[in-house]
Amino acid sequence: MRIACLLAADLPLAAVLRAQPELAGLPLAIVSGVGPRAQVIAISAEAARAGVRPTFSVVHARSICPALRVRVASPALERAACETLLDVARSLSPRVAAAPRCSGVYAAEAAVYLDASGVSSLFRSEEGFAAALTTRAQTAGIPAMAAVASSRGVSLLAARCIARGLSQGAQNVRSAAERFRAAGESTHEPQDTDTVLVLAPAEEATFLDPLPIDLLDPEDVLAEALTRFGIRRVGELTRLPRRSLVTRLGPGVLRLLALAHGEKDTVPLPSAAETRVEEGVDLEWPIENLEPLSFVLRGLVARLAERLELRGLVCGDLDLELRLAGGGCDTRRVGVSAPNGDPRTLLGVLRLALEHPLPRAPVEGIALATEGRPMRTDQLDLFRPAGPTPSALGRTLAELEALCGNERVGAPLLVDDPHPDAFAQSPFALPRSAPKTTLRPAVAIAALRALRPPVPAEVRAPRGRPEWIRSAVANGPIVGLAGPWRTTGGWWSPERRFAFDSFDVRTGDGNVIRLRFDLVHCRWQVDAIYD
Amino acid sequence: MPPLRPISSVSVDPSRLERLLRDLGPQVRRGALPSLPPPRCPTGIAVIDGLLGGGFPRGHLSEVAGAASSGRTALALGLLAEATRAGEIAAVVDAADAFDAASAVAAGAALERVLWVRAPHVRAALRSVERLLEARGFPLILVDLVGREARDACCPTVWSRLARAAAGAQAALVLLAGRRLAGTSAELALEMQPRRACFVGTPALLEELEVQAVLARTRSGLCGAAGRVASVRLRVLGSAA
Repeated sequence: MRIACLLAADLPLAAVLRAQPELAGLPLAIVSGVGPRAQVIAISAEAARAGVRPTFSVVHARSICPALRVRVASPALERAACETLLDVARSLSPRVAAAPRCSGVYAAEAAVYLDASGVSSLFRSEEGFAAALTTRAQTAGIPAMAAVASSRGVSLLAARCIARGLSQGAQNVRSAAERFRAAGESTHEPQDTDTVLVLAPAEEATFLDPLPIDLLDPEDVLAEALTRFGIRRVGELTRLPRRSLVTRLGPGVLRLLALAHGEKDTVPLPSAAETRVEEGVDLEWPIENLEPLSFVLRGLVARLAERLELRGLVCGDLDLELRLAGGGCDTRRVGVSAPNGDPRTLLGVLRLALEHPLPRAPVEGIALATEGRPMRTDQLDLFRPAGPTPSALGRTLAELEALCGNERVGAPLLVDDPHPDAFAQSPFALPRSAPKTTLRPAVAIAALRALRPPVPAEVRAPRGRPEWIRSAVANGPIVGLAGPWRTTGGWWSPERRFAFDSFDVRTGDGNVIRLRFDLVHCRWQVDAIYD
Repeated sequence: MPPLRPISSVSVDPSRLERLLRDLGPQVRRGALPSLPPPRCPTGIAVIDGLLGGGFPRGHLSEVAGAASSGRTALALGLLAEATRAGEIAAVVDAADAFDAASAVAAGAALERVLWVRAPHVRAALRSVERLLEARGFPLILVDLVGREARDACCPTVWSRLARAAAGAQAALVLLAGRRLAGTSAELALEMQPRRACFVGTPALLEELEVQAVLARTRSGLCGAAGRVASVRLRVLGSAA
């Protein structure tokens, strides 16, 4: 089995740069908290060139580099970046697993393992596959390196080698790049051969031999003991007898030995892929107004849509969680009627949802989640008039529902209900079949305009026949009258019971209306106008 | 008579041509193909279609204004029926919340091809229209603002914006209102007037409405040979039916 490891070496930095790409190329430091004494935990290459180092305080770092941009490390952003790395891996392999986060020197790392068996038929070579991985990760905003080997441990060590730019590793990288170029790859993905490393099973032992022992990430006590014994290279460790090592250094050394020997993994990689996608951001200052909140949401939505696209999904209903200043949380479910992946539409829907009602306090953090849905497929017809494209229609329906309300957009339905006020809508979808042949009426038909709700009327009706009306839609003496026609229904339920006597009426002001007397509530109403 | 030479082989002295053009001045115009009349959405009511020269023009904003019981809605449903019968998708943006599905079916509309947007107010209705025009593919959009004109006043510039958007989407945008709203942005305005209602028989039945349509405005000057006024009888399929 062949395993690829996709490694983001500096996750806090990558997570911030993914959310704020405008900071790329500037001296940037990620710090552990707010305030001048907060410790620098990650730096950009520009900041490193200016002399800033991790573990400096913010004051110290700024004294060395006045132009330094400082951002507080955000767990929400890091979580989203890790998930993105998984999405990148899932877009190229069905079996994917996140590596457990390390502590100590490699605490800033995030790694993902994926099954690389049989990829040569798709990418011509494993180098091409690894290059495709790094390119997709870069496109998703996370600089990463990829290595392919026979086990998870060796692939992780190889990826760490690239990240640390070790001489031996670099040599291997170059050789892999040369092999890659010599193979004359022509995959569809642009390739970056400086961040990939492929180890053939036969050359793994040779590769591991000269690597420094700290690449295996030993615990502090174990690392100290190994240094005391003068063991600095992986090869020096593997040449020692296993039993004696365990006797002297304890069982913790077995993990190092397994890694150093490149032992194969027994647990297979999982294949199930979740469809839920989450993005979040912790704000450094609370936001009170909708406009700056929309600005933050735009980035979140764009990243969410990007990740869904990696999975070949589009956005369903959105779960928005706003963490408010002073404690408390504002949770909203924002309906997206027609699943779509257009960030502009999704942002519009979110904005409209936030307008009514506005958050009751300034917002300190935002979490946005959605359940990915498969894209809608539709076969268009050459012989029918072209309607809106399915994606444009989906986007438009979502926007219309956000504008007018969820229950107010759809195709009209004929309702099988005797109540004169009954009406219904069904979800609108592009009809797949040709329209039914309906006969054009021989004469023009007068239409009814429904009044929803019916307009109350004051009617003078001696002997039960209306003679004079006053209402918001028609007034004056009644000059033409037809009816009554009685409609009843809902007799089994006191709440739904209705009985109307309806009249077609022409009033003195020229209106032709449908007037009814509600026998249950004893009142006159105008429920429609002939037009 | 000497044989005619083909035009392409005639050598033209550029300076002489320039002088000729200068002398002729504004009498010379750049050549262009004559503009074709825009495609039309028929209403299915012969006299109205005759009045409009075939129906409401696509790619333009048109208006139908008039008092209650003047036949505005019947005209709109006729448009809807013709469009859906041709297999097209139509949208009804209904700020008045007055659309009656049974009347639409009686007029011959295919309801599954109608997108009904029940806008809660005029502002939402106009924004919905903009979205529909942006989506492209809705060749007919009816906007019903009857009874909402005074309640939700809107900025007059919105009509010119919608007219431009309709031209971009090549959609017939038809506005229904109690009075004319779009002014000079409308390509065509039809004013409807109620004439009489006929009650016949014993007991009496409302049989038909007689209305009159007046072509109040047409920007292109293209209108039917029927003149500017037409009388229409609308059969009532009312409560008794």
